[in-house]
Amino acid sequence: MRLTNWRPLTTALAVMLVLTACGGVSESENSTESTTPVTSATTDASVTETTQGVVSGTTDGLAGTTLNFWIMGDTATAFEELVSGFTAETGINVKVDAIPWDAVNDRLTTAVASGEGPDVTQIGLSLLPTFIAGEALMDVSDLVGDYPNLTAASFPSDIMATLNPGGATYSFPWVSDTRVLFYRSDILGDAGFSEPPATWDELLKMASVLADRGSTKYGYYIPQWDAPLPVAYTWQAGGDVIAADGSIDLDTPEFRDAVDHYLAFYDAGVVPTAGDWDQALGFITGDAPMLVSGPYLAGAINDQAPELEGSWGVTMVPTGVNNTSLFAGSNVGVWSGSENPEAALALIDYLARPETQLAWYAAVNELPAVSAALEELKAGDDAMVAVYAAQLANSRLLPLDPAWDAVGQEILTMLNSVALTGADKGQALADLFDSVARIVEG
Amino acid sequence: MGVLGRQEVTTAAVPARPTHHEPGSTNTSRKQRISAATKSLTPYGFVAPSFLFLLAFGILPIVVAAVVSFTDLDITGLANPDNISYIGLENYRRLISDSDFWRSLQTTGIFIVFGVPSIIVISLTIALGLSVSSSRLFRVLRMFYFLPAITAIVAISLIWGFMYNTQFGLLNYLLTSIGSSPINWLSDPQMAKVSVAIVAIWRATGLNIIIFLAAIQSIPRDYYEAAAIDGATGWASFRWITFPLLRFALLFVTVTTLIAWLQFFDEPFVLTDGGPVGATTSISLFIYQEGFSFNRFGYASAGTVVLFLIIVTVTAFQLRLYRSNHA
Repeated sequence: MRLTNWRPLTTALAVMLVLTACGGVSESENSTESTTPVTSATTDASVTETTQGVVSGTTDGLAGTTLNFWIMGDTATAFEELVSGFTAETGINVKVDAIPWDAVNDRLTTAVASGEGPDVTQIGLSLLPTFIAGEALMDVSDLVGDYPNLTAASFPSDIMATLNPGGATYSFPWVSDTRVLFYRSDILGDAGFSEPPATWDELLKMASVLADRGSTKYGYYIPQWDAPLPVAYTWQAGGDVIAADGSIDLDTPEFRDAVDHYLAFYDAGVVPTAGDWDQALGFITGDAPMLVSGPYLAGAINDQAPELEGSWGVTMVPTGVNNTSLFAGSNVGVWSGSENPEAALALIDYLARPETQLAWYAAVNELPAVSAALEELKAGDDAMVAVYAAQLANSRLLPLDPAWDAVGQEILTMLNSVALTGADKGQALADLFDSVARIVEG
Repeated sequence: MGVLGRQEVTTAAVPARPTHHEPGSTNTSRKQRISAATKSLTPYGFVAPSFLFLLAFGILPIVVAAVVSFTDLDITGLANPDNISYIGLENYRRLISDSDFWRSLQTTGIFIVFGVPSIIVISLTIALGLSVSSSRLFRVLRMFYFLPAITAIVAISLIWGFMYNTQFGLLNYLLTSIGSSPINWLSDPQMAKVSVAIVAIWRATGLNIIIFLAAIQSIPRDYYEAAAIDGATGWASFRWITFPLLRFALLFVTVTTLIAWLQFFDEPFVLTDGGPVGATTSISLFIYQEGFSFNRFGYASAGTVVLFLIIVTVTAFQLRLYRSNHA
């Protein structure tokens, strides 16, 4: 009897508790939902007068439809304002659902598994391969001809073809993003540097001088979570992470150079070792007066420390063999299960209008992806925009491979294990090549 | 360390209390007019609702996970079932050769070795202190100690994240203001384990203090009076009266705490996301990352099956040990 006594209890205990193994996941994905008011009368004059901006005739009969839109990050409120003009013009409502960047993959897999997705979604370029592999995006090749702003010619060179493999049309560039070097000209000046560093060597030398300002002062900042950074270093070393046959290959001299460059800052003790370092705060206080980041950091600095205006600047990333940087950004696409593809495309067409693109840059500092808008922005006399545009022209995409995300994480783990725990570099590299082989194989 | 899990244990564990008698056994002498068939079916009627729940939310997901663990399910398989193929034990073979998996097991083991005794000792000590009096002050204190158990993990992680922060955290501010050098609470791989464990221990004590306190207060005062007459000191009455009479509470807290640490997830997930360099990646977090960050659902399912077997084994062993000592 003894056995029969404890067995059910054990099983019950075990069963229930295993179920809750991951059940405690906090619902930190506090999505905010709201609907753009239909009665928005704030139609911008420029919107109605625009020549190419008139939404095509296909919106007839679509008034009153509601589109669900997934936006990533914390720009939902600004986005609702942006699309109020679209609602006023077409009568199509847009319901915006904000998804934090680190919850995007969860929402994607749940939506793919349940078949319940939005109508239109923003897609961070690093997740684009996963969206396509998950068949989450609709191929709109047959419909797109009706939308004047969505032709391949609207976007820089061959970007449409690169981002839409296999001749399909899954998504359209919406915002571009690149990485430039941010530096505090006042602090560099105090240390005797009149110009920001232009090469890898100068960067390291200047960072070392700046780090000597005190025990809590650093010269440079490397985000421990920044997976694209080591890849950009590999490009700057003149190499690539993709071999000629299209497979992921890290066992190259250039990748090793990138690793050495990355680790050199830790060796010299000129970067913070804290993983919870706040880059904007570190830059504003001057504790880490140089870092590589995107235009959104400029927005954060202007918001949080307007008094610093004039004492900081941006420049192209320092040169190893070249100064190629990361091309990032977001696309927008129609969800594969959407019942309103015409309304969805009308919205995307609206988002691709140059004036919408410029309004979005003004609102949240995200660079236009439409060539005409970028040209117009460059024509202004904003020195920072000139740097962004020059860097964008010299930037590359991360590998468009669903396995890349896991590989990028392995690279970071390898680098940080050497930088933070003093692991042996040779051994860590060998382990990295092993795990990459495992990821690629299956 | 889900509160949900603990509540389920409570309901599951109660029928198994050694002192518990089934109502039927005391009533057998009574003449009852219901037929034998109805009588034997009645208990099933009572357990049916919870059994159905267990079936739908307990057994079924485990069966599904077990089935998925033999496939290569990923996001393409979610979109289109044609993309799923049966790969036999391949996921388990890879799991065994995955150093990250072994590392997460080892990390979980370290957390258990330090976490379980800490929670038991701290909870019991505070419960003993709180049982000294039932004055207004002590009632307020009881509430105070229970707070961590009812505070949302997101709020906890925000507050602790701020306190631990390297640049502007309270703890480093205090350290530097007394002339000591700052500590990388969440960034140093060794220290991060400690920091995350401190939050988990702090959070788990709330409920366990209440369990111990209830158990202590249910011990009849007469025993202590009798012991006092015999000249027992405070320590002796604890050692020979309180401690032995707490054995069920101790077992319960040990089992639930151990299982909670085996499933350790919330604190590293919200505070460090398993970092730095995987130093706080527990087995549950490893499974989560494989499944929901990298969309390798088949592989992650194999991990959950292994974790399930570990928990079943550990729990069975503990309960058997308890019964052979006390039955």
